[in-house]
Amino acid sequence: MKKPLVVKGLRKSHNNTVAVKELSLEISKGEIFGLLGHNGAGKTTSIECILGVKKYDSGSVELLGMSPAADRKKLFEKVGVQFQLTNYHEKIRVSEICEVTSSLYKEPADWQGLLKSFGLSGMEKRTVAELSGGERQRLSVLLALIPNPEFVFLDELTTGLDSKARRDVWKYLEKLKSGGLTIFLTSHYMDEVETLCDRVCILKKGKMVVTGSINELLEQSPYDTLEEAYLWYSGEEESENESI
Amino acid sequence: MKAFNTLFRIELKLSIRDMNIPIFGIALPIIVAVVIGLVSGNKPAFEGADYSMITVSFGAFTAIAICATGLMGMPLTVADYRHKKVLKRYMVTPVSPALLLLVQFVINLIMSVISLVLLYFICTLFWDYHMAGNIGWFLLSYLLVVLSIYSIGMMLASIAPNLKTANLLCTLVYFPMLFFSGATIPYEIMPKGAQVVMDVLPLTQGIKLLKGTSLGLPIENTIISIVILGAVSLICMVLSLKFFRWE
Repeated sequence: MKKPLVVKGLRKSHNNTVAVKELSLEISKGEIFGLLGHNGAGKTTSIECILGVKKYDSGSVELLGMSPAADRKKLFEKVGVQFQLTNYHEKIRVSEICEVTSSLYKEPADWQGLLKSFGLSGMEKRTVAELSGGERQRLSVLLALIPNPEFVFLDELTTGLDSKARRDVWKYLEKLKSGGLTIFLTSHYMDEVETLCDRVCILKKGKMVVTGSINELLEQSPYDTLEEAYLWYSGEEESENESI
Repeated sequence: MKAFNTLFRIELKLSIRDMNIPIFGIALPIIVAVVIGLVSGNKPAFEGADYSMITVSFGAFTAIAICATGLMGMPLTVADYRHKKVLKRYMVTPVSPALLLLVQFVINLIMSVISLVLLYFICTLFWDYHMAGNIGWFLLSYLLVVLSIYSIGMMLASIAPNLKTANLLCTLVYFPMLFFSGATIPYEIMPKGAQVVMDVLPLTQGIKLLKGTSLGLPIENTIISIVILGAVSLICMVLSLKFFRWE
């Protein structure tokens, strides 16, 4: 069977600096794939190029056998996307954003049911701006699932969530995965990556450093925990202190 | 159709909650009409004129709402949605840009029609206004003015690189059109030299057309306005779809 996502030699530069260098990856159906790397490593840019939101310089992307830029209308019936830092219409209510989103698809999921699963029922009448950070984050993941997608992109899916809410989101995603959903995610939390991801890819300055299952990554590194291995691969154990 | 209906219903609620359009599109034209009505309502438009000031100005009042909805309401909503990345989120759904623009078009059209109806009642009730011309012709010309002004607004929203520029462009187009097209300050009281300059503004042509049809003047007098407005609509609509950007 054809892989739902095939990326070959993706390259994107921005103002003479290369944001993504020759990224190639393949994701199988029903797999949860994690794209890791520290801030500015090119995760979001890679996702936006894959989705056709940003134009890339060279390479190719095939998502569900289609080209995201050319087959946009058809493709996004089956692909859900949660962007990092989602913004909403001013003064829109939770029920309204759900209604609008589900009206865009031919066969949307039941959003009321999703609100319940994501612990947001009873908040329909609140404006999105009134929600807490964690509630808004859950809403943005929920909206990505409204299309009843075959493939979903989640960029930093549980940033700002408390432990309980994170576990609830994981559980829900695992349920969808067992139903055949393919998930492409980015995360800074290694416990999350270990729980969810079948395979990961680590980016460093736009370049893929390593890709494989979590066990493979650990075997190829001198460390036994994913956190340490990740820091070793992404070069953060050196005293660069870029982010401080 | 489901997408249009839902988007329409919810975007309409949002625009009412926002209050900008109700204030500038509905209240402002009524205020202008009432002020002009109180100052010189039933007096002749100029010495020896057959029509009262209100009769001559009715078309201009209705244009204020077209201006507010088309040059501020619609383009600034689209620019704001682009700025807030609402459009970026729509980009990864099956919705087409044309549908999103159509929803905004219809909502703003409804607002300006509400304003038109209210103006008609107020002018009739207090200043005994009668439309001398054929109402059908008037409505057709109204629609043409809406098309041309809205397509200018859409084009501004499409070409502006960011919200700030969109605000600036809309303000630069909106205020001169509001004051120097005869929408608020009557064209007739302007000096001849100024009228020549005013004629350049598409809304001046729009107001000439609205005045012409509301007064029942022969269509030949307004043929130039019709041609100009038609050309403006076509060019700006093509440009606004061509330059539409999600982000």
